[in-house]
Amino acid sequence: MIRTRGLVKKYGSFTAVDNLDLNISAGEIYGFLGPNGAGKTSTMLMLLGIVKPTAGEIFLFNEKYTPDKLDMRNKIGVVPEKHPYGVWTWMTAFEYMQLFADLFDLKRIHGNCNDRIEYLLLQVDLYGVRNKRIAEFSRGMLQKLSIIRALLHDPDILFLDEPISGLDPIGIKQIRNLILAENREGRTIFISSHLLSEMEKLCHRIAIIYKGKLLAEDSMNSLLAKLVKDREILIDLETLPHNIGNTIKELPFILDTTTNGNTLAIKVSKERDFRKDISGYLINKGLIPLRIEETALSLEEAFVTITNENIDLFTEIGGRE
Amino acid sequence: MSFRMHAALVIAKRRIFESYLSPGYYIAQAVGLLLSYFLISGFVSSIDSSGFNYMLNPLYELIGRSLSGTFGLTFLKKLFASGPFQFVFYVSIIPVFLYLSLSTVFHFCLEKKVGAIELLTYGPVDGTSYFLAFFIKDMVLTILYLLLLILFLSAAALLNNLVLGLAFFYVLVVVFFMMMLLYTISIMISVLTDSSASAIALYIAVIFLFLIVLMGSFTIISTYITSFSSVLSWVINWVSPFFYGGLAISFIEAGYIVNYLLILLVMTVLSCLFLLLSHLVIKVKGVHS
Repeated sequence: MIRTRGLVKKYGSFTAVDNLDLNISAGEIYGFLGPNGAGKTSTMLMLLGIVKPTAGEIFLFNEKYTPDKLDMRNKIGVVPEKHPYGVWTWMTAFEYMQLFADLFDLKRIHGNCNDRIEYLLLQVDLYGVRNKRIAEFSRGMLQKLSIIRALLHDPDILFLDEPISGLDPIGIKQIRNLILAENREGRTIFISSHLLSEMEKLCHRIAIIYKGKLLAEDSMNSLLAKLVKDREILIDLETLPHNIGNTIKELPFILDTTTNGNTLAIKVSKERDFRKDISGYLINKGLIPLRIEETALSLEEAFVTITNENIDLFTEIGGRE
Repeated sequence: MSFRMHAALVIAKRRIFESYLSPGYYIAQAVGLLLSYFLISGFVSSIDSSGFNYMLNPLYELIGRSLSGTFGLTFLKKLFASGPFQFVFYVSIIPVFLYLSLSTVFHFCLEKKVGAIELLTYGPVDGTSYFLAFFIKDMVLTILYLLLLILFLSAAALLNNLVLGLAFFYVLVVVFFMMMLLYTISIMISVLTDSSASAIALYIAVIFLFLIVLMGSFTIISTYITSFSSVLSWVINWVSPFFYGGLAISFIEAGYIVNYLLILLVMTVLSCLFLLLSHLVIKVKGVHS
């Protein structure tokens, strides 16, 4: 659906995007992560035809994409990070949506487009304020309006740049549900963000970009699995015998232990799942484990590891440095 | 219809609607019509048994002295030969022309800067359709004002026992084409520059340059200009709407209809050329702020 080959963007001597190869399949929610200045926005602007690449090619819908292909833009919906509403503030939310419906000529294609506008306004709780001027909207309301504007013409690909920044928790949930619902309808969604915890809930696959280079691109689970150095197992016991932390170390795969109240935290190597071995050992010792849980590395932790602390580790797991 | 043309028409429609919502266009029209009123009533009081005598009215005395000083007495006599309407028309079109062209220059640069054009280009709109929308808006609002002006001047002619005359309509067409060319120049400048202030300054400077060269061709200074910067004034005249406007009017005064029409064609071609150049510039520069 979206493919780039050797994409490069240079601003003078500064390389914002360096030889980027992306491959995004149809129906995927693809998270594009990176810290500020990593090259996310430059990549997105190139994908949208707003900025010309210094080198490389972009393919959308298996066709080479150039900014001149205005017909192709009918299949793309975009939510930019910043919204220049300053020039549209005299319009009501409904009029704003109608402007874009007219631009996409939806009346000719679908007949009455007001139903679609009303449906989308309802989805994000803006129906009640449809006749209010945009000037009176809060940041969260503007963000929601921007998202439904991008969905108005029923695009095949949706590009979202920081879609939930500035939203309250209810707004975040509404937008998350909307994104997931649109994806279930078969839409391919490309999200650029730094809100990692949210990406973890939404994306099928993620890519991490750093200093213009693609550091990692994989499914969420396998990327996290690759990044885990050691596993940590938390065991809640009815009573925690004195010195259990040391005695359990006789098991050869245990690397370290700590205790906290009735919880025993054990670090093991990541070769395989040792929970069965540990519970067997504890039962033999006459102890009853109430809970055995392996702590998962969150995307946020993985992201920090990759970008700031351990690029070498990342390179080992398949990234390109 | 192409995506580009469709988008240009949709945006132009909104822009025209927006113009009717804001006071600027009404104020410019009102100023234009008020000037017409004062100039017509001044002209009527400047007529005695010997005909038009600009010394009879203080307003016309000032205008007459200024125009004869700048362009010469022959020019002044020709201008008022068939009544006041040619002059009234030139004056009353200025407020609307300035309002439309300067607001285009200002808004285009501002909207480019704040990313409004970029937002639209995420849809089936590009920079070219955006500036075409401004051009269509300016032309439509100009036509609407010209119609209003014709109505107003016709009524004034009827009330004061004057006639608009055929020459007035020839001039009206010439001025319309001149404005078209000036609008395309304003678009070209908007596309070239990055800030509203510099775009407005450059546009005003270009208009003044055209006017200075035009005035130079009427006055004694023309010899000086010709010898000092003949090439420069020749080059400027090639793209100056005022030069072509003056040429077209002199052709119609001499009865050369074909030449008059050819000049209108040249102005149309030049307008297209400016739009094409703007298209190429925006294609290279992009709309990203």
